[in-house]
Amino acid sequence: MKAPPFAYARPTTLDSALELLAGNDDAKVLAGGQSLLPVMNLRLGAPALLVDISRIPMLDRIVVDDDGAVTIGALVTHAAVEASPEIASHQPIVAAAAPHIGHRAIRNRGTCVGSIAHADPAAEMPAVCLATDAMMIATSTRGDRAIPAADFFTGFLETDLADDELLAAVRFPASPVGARGTVVEVARRHGDYALAGLACRLVFDGDTITDAALAYFGVGPHAQRVAPAEAALVGTSGDDDALDEAVRLVAATLDPPADVHGSANYRRHLAGVLCRRAVTELRSETGEAR
Amino acid sequence: MSDTMNETHVALGGDTTISCTVNGQAVSVEVPVRTSLSDMLRSALELTGTHLGCEHGVCGACTIVLDGAAVRSCLMLAVQADGTEIRTIEGLATDGTWHPIQQAMHDHHGFQCAFCSPGFMMTAVAMLEDDPNRTEAEIREELGGNLCRCTGYESIIDGVLGAIAEMRDGDGGVA
Amino acid sequence: MSPDGNQGSGLGAFTGTSVKRVEDHRLLVGEGRYVADVVPDGCLHAAFVRSPFPHARITGIDTADAKRLPGVVTVVTGAEIEALTNPILPFLALPGLYTPLYHCLSSERVRFVGDPVAIVVASSRAIAEDAVELVDVTYEPLPGIGTLDAALDTASEPIWPKAKGNLLYDHTNDHGDVDAVFADADHVFTETFRCPRQSNQPMETRGILVEFSADGEITVRAATQAPHMLRWQLAAYARKESAAQAVKAFATNTERRTAFVDAAKSFFAERGEALQASDNTAMQTQMKTDPRTALQMMRTGAQLLGRDDYPHVTADDIGGGFGAKGSVAREEIAVAAVAFALGRSVSWIEDRMENLMDGGQAREEEMTLSIACDADGTIRGLDVDLVLDQGAYPGNPIGAPITVRIMEVMQPGAYRFEAFRQRSRIVTTNKGKYVAYRGPWANETWARERMVNVVARRLGISQTEIRRKNMYGDEDFPATMLTGPSLDVTCSVRKTLERAEELADLPGLDALRADAAARGKRLGIGFASYHEAAPGPPDYWESVNPGTSALLDQPATASVDTDGKIKIWTSQMPHGQSHETTYAQLAADQLGVGIDDIELVYGHTSRAPFDLLGTGGSRGGPVGGGAVRKVGRGLRAAVVAKAADMLEANVDDISIVDGNIHVAGVPARGLGYADLAARVVADGETVEGKDGTYAFNVEDTYTSAGDGGWSVATHVCWVEVDIETGLVDIPRYLVVEDCGPIINPAIVDGQARGGVAQGIGAVLYERAAYDDDANLQASTYMDYLIPTATEVPRIEVEHMETLSPGENDHRGVGEGGMIGAPAAITNAIEDALDVTVNEQYLPPTRILELAGVIEPD
Repeated sequence: MKAPPFAYARPTTLDSALELLAGNDDAKVLAGGQSLLPVMNLRLGAPALLVDISRIPMLDRIVVDDDGAVTIGALVTHAAVEASPEIASHQPIVAAAAPHIGHRAIRNRGTCVGSIAHADPAAEMPAVCLATDAMMIATSTRGDRAIPAADFFTGFLETDLADDELLAAVRFPASPVGARGTVVEVARRHGDYALAGLACRLVFDGDTITDAALAYFGVGPHAQRVAPAEAALVGTSGDDDALDEAVRLVAATLDPPADVHGSANYRRHLAGVLCRRAVTELRSETGEAR
Repeated sequence: MSDTMNETHVALGGDTTISCTVNGQAVSVEVPVRTSLSDMLRSALELTGTHLGCEHGVCGACTIVLDGAAVRSCLMLAVQADGTEIRTIEGLATDGTWHPIQQAMHDHHGFQCAFCSPGFMMTAVAMLEDDPNRTEAEIREELGGNLCRCTGYESIIDGVLGAIAEMRDGDGGVA
Repeated sequence: MSPDGNQGSGLGAFTGTSVKRVEDHRLLVGEGRYVADVVPDGCLHAAFVRSPFPHARITGIDTADAKRLPGVVTVVTGAEIEALTNPILPFLALPGLYTPLYHCLSSERVRFVGDPVAIVVASSRAIAEDAVELVDVTYEPLPGIGTLDAALDTASEPIWPKAKGNLLYDHTNDHGDVDAVFADADHVFTETFRCPRQSNQPMETRGILVEFSADGEITVRAATQAPHMLRWQLAAYARKESAAQAVKAFATNTERRTAFVDAAKSFFAERGEALQASDNTAMQTQMKTDPRTALQMMRTGAQLLGRDDYPHVTADDIGGGFGAKGSVAREEIAVAAVAFALGRSVSWIEDRMENLMDGGQAREEEMTLSIACDADGTIRGLDVDLVLDQGAYPGNPIGAPITVRIMEVMQPGAYRFEAFRQRSRIVTTNKGKYVAYRGPWANETWARERMVNVVARRLGISQTEIRRKNMYGDEDFPATMLTGPSLDVTCSVRKTLERAEELADLPGLDALRADAAARGKRLGIGFASYHEAAPGPPDYWESVNPGTSALLDQPATASVDTDGKIKIWTSQMPHGQSHETTYAQLAADQLGVGIDDIELVYGHTSRAPFDLLGTGGSRGGPVGGGAVRKVGRGLRAAVVAKAADMLEANVDDISIVDGNIHVAGVPARGLGYADLAARVVADGETVEGKDGTYAFNVEDTYTSAGDGGWSVATHVCWVEVDIETGLVDIPRYLVVEDCGPIINPAIVDGQARGGVAQGIGAVLYERAAYDDDANLQASTYMDYLIPTATEVPRIEVEHMETLSPGENDHRGVGEGGMIGAPAAITNAIEDALDVTVNEQYLPPTRILELAGVIEPD
């Protein structure tokens, strides 16, 4: 199918883009378009105005602070995240997510921030944001605001962003000392949206887990952390008994949907398997903590 | 790039002019702003070698190389390609000599109905230009975003391996 | 262009070698011409308004807003198109089957999600889609029939009121004394097997362009496997003349009338006996259920006879079909009708959502099999109860009726059953239409090969032993299947099994299992064997559908232009099978020339010889190829005779090498084809053929199965099941096939592998999913999953080449991969999980349910 008609603007300054968003009720931001254009081609969405932000300077930057915090601008593609040595060294969990996203051609155009703003429940990046306590940098003619990931994802394809706000960047704070992270998922085919996935970050002090983040995707209306299971891991070494309890709590907490790709019971079971796999992988990691 | 003089605005239902380089030639065409890049290539430029299999970004038949990277031309608006450099299947051979990937696909019986073949070959070209040292597993993963319904993929993978061998040491890998 | 090693020649030089594809020279450089690639100046574009409901009455339709949209040329509703079109008639009906009459667009009732109710024609596809959204249809929903059980429930809302229920066909045939065999056997085992809906999904969707030239001549270009069928159907359905008009036209067209009478006379002279033997109870049922059928048949028949100026149909390159493009689409009829009425070029290129809704679905069958056997593993009796879900509208022309017949005939497989009973039922539901999909009958193989494994497990013998013990072998031939077809040495199924056992390294299996277990996986192995009628013995099709073998006849022509260019004309419609290469191989070997010296003419109905079925049924190699060999031989004889005359030699002494026609041993005094052609011209011996004047023109027909023969294979699949995730890997897959002497090994390998890939899809990934109320749940490629390069493993293909007694020995290979794979894969999964597997579709959820890891929701 062909996209429905729309008006189009390609501003060259951020201010101009924000004015367009403020002045049009039914405007959508176009960055890579890898989420928006399929929706439009299927005629599931028909925004009146597309604001193409591709020519706005500075939004394509990856900025690394001295402490290792990384800010990723709205035009940075998944491919650029995947290829960035800074992200690999300072935010390995972010780098770990990138190869799971779609296929090469999608990653070449699709943006990290766009994926977060689209908030597909089965997408990796929202869960990574939750696992890392990332901050969403939203901007509008009314000013900037930083939204914690925990407050950002509000429903199925819904976020805390207001209609006039542009998600200009995502900021991953410096990793705590002793942090290790991984992204594990199961998809029907390689590159598909996950049947269930987990962005897992554990902070170790020696062999002891001092902080745990289990951020799931594909098992609910939006990415979500499972606090009871995280609590069950903290203070342990991630040993098998602790894992059994965490897996039990994951299954008890999640209420995943059923669809043509998998049943609710399957996804609940898979969430536990992923917990076990991720924690087992991270507890056996040696050398440089991440 | 950054001055507001260059801002583009197109009203609902309006047309826009796209200037880009396609297969080495500078082109400039006017299309409705909602036109996808794939439709611009196929209709306005009559480059019908780029195929549409799903128009929602899954099948990969429309894959082209844009500024050196493989992209789905059905998931780009033509207007997003303004100022870019595009390569399509029609630009792969030079002066009538096939690109090694074309020769290798021929040698290995890569395709059958060949509707998917432009997407596969453009994906492969971008991959090999990025890094020609690829294992079979890596090739399968990189080509995993392209659907073929005829071949079971083995002949396509063999074609890419053949092209790699040819590009490396002039040995097409065919006995 | 690059050299491709296709040069050099000599009799027999090409056949049997992996000649590189002729087609590649245009396809690999982006110069293929698919239907969407041709857009004449001023061409209009069509889109369809489709039902969002599985089942509903239409109580209102308002097209005013759509018509007002700038760029919209016309909007035609279902009710309006009835003035332009005839209803679609039954084809290959069965006694007792009710086949509804229906129009290309629906007007009073919609019967599946995607049912077209109006066509919009506009200056661009995008605008046509805009207008589709502006057509306001009022629906009054009816209960959706989404399951076999609902369809079999006599209280369910009839989708076709004249049928009085949703069970359209119920027929049982006994072959042998079934009750006696079952009473006498030591054991009877019974299982029910279910296969959900799948879809053919060629990468190119359907499409049609009706093109008006500047002088008003109409040419229809389409993605069709059967151009002549499409041409006839458009002539029959996309125009509407009154019976009186049509009869008058026929009566006043003397040439037409004479030709018809002559053709009818010769048809009855040739086939009178067969026609008398075949009963016409099928049509009687139909007439009784819906008396309009007779009237419509007469009207449509008169219309077909009254004119001979049907628009020609052409196709160049086609992006796959797998059976789906053998159907004539209702949309094609609607587009043609509206274009004819407008007198303007109109193109419709289906999008993928439409294709997933209405582009053809297949394979939804439930089969209960009972096998009677003795304790020693001798299988004796087979009882099958088949229910097939044909969806809302009948396939046109190939659909459920012919499929149940083939399923029954092939059901016993290559096993020595003593008796066989088949009950076949066809139900209608609110789903997309059931079409032929690569080995349309394949579920007979799946269910039988599953059941054979069930029996083996219950008796505690191996899956290979039970097959070896019960299969026909050379010592049994000639033999006859219980269902009619004869078996000869080409039914070499047991040989492929024995070869597969050797290659499978069964002694090493325990080590593989242990290795997998060490990695947390469960390894299983599955065998499956089948024979398929590609083309089958001469009595095969008479067993399936008596009196209709002539439909399978395949004509061909071999000609030499007056300038010496050799052309082969085929009624086959290539869409990926590489006919231009393989037919050039066959012809070049006959004619002593190079591959590039042969031009294959196909597609355009003004030139392609007449054949309603086009390409399908794995007939390209055996029957189409048989025809090519036949006319090739004829042309060679004519050429040699002329050359002998010119060279003053005996015909037996004439040799042709590299296009040099000479007396053996004296190549220096040879002649080229151009020399011969020039001489024919000079001698005034040219002949008229299609599309021109030729130096030589040999036309002939290869009848039905011709020399016949079976195409057979054994598939072996190894799976590793991840018991935590339910994901299934295929570490090894082996096909041992015997399609007789191979024309082009690389092309045969490609067909086998492509078929296996579709079988992998069927078991692990693909489902044309509907909920119980018949709401479509897989309308994009995010939901209908086609396996990719990361899911399909390397597939080993081992060839055996059993010769048949016949002269044309190439047998078909297009469908076999898809026939064998679902059985081998599901058998392997059963072996890995050590539970009985009753479904063909085994996504991760189902795997873990079977393994007892999770409960169903």
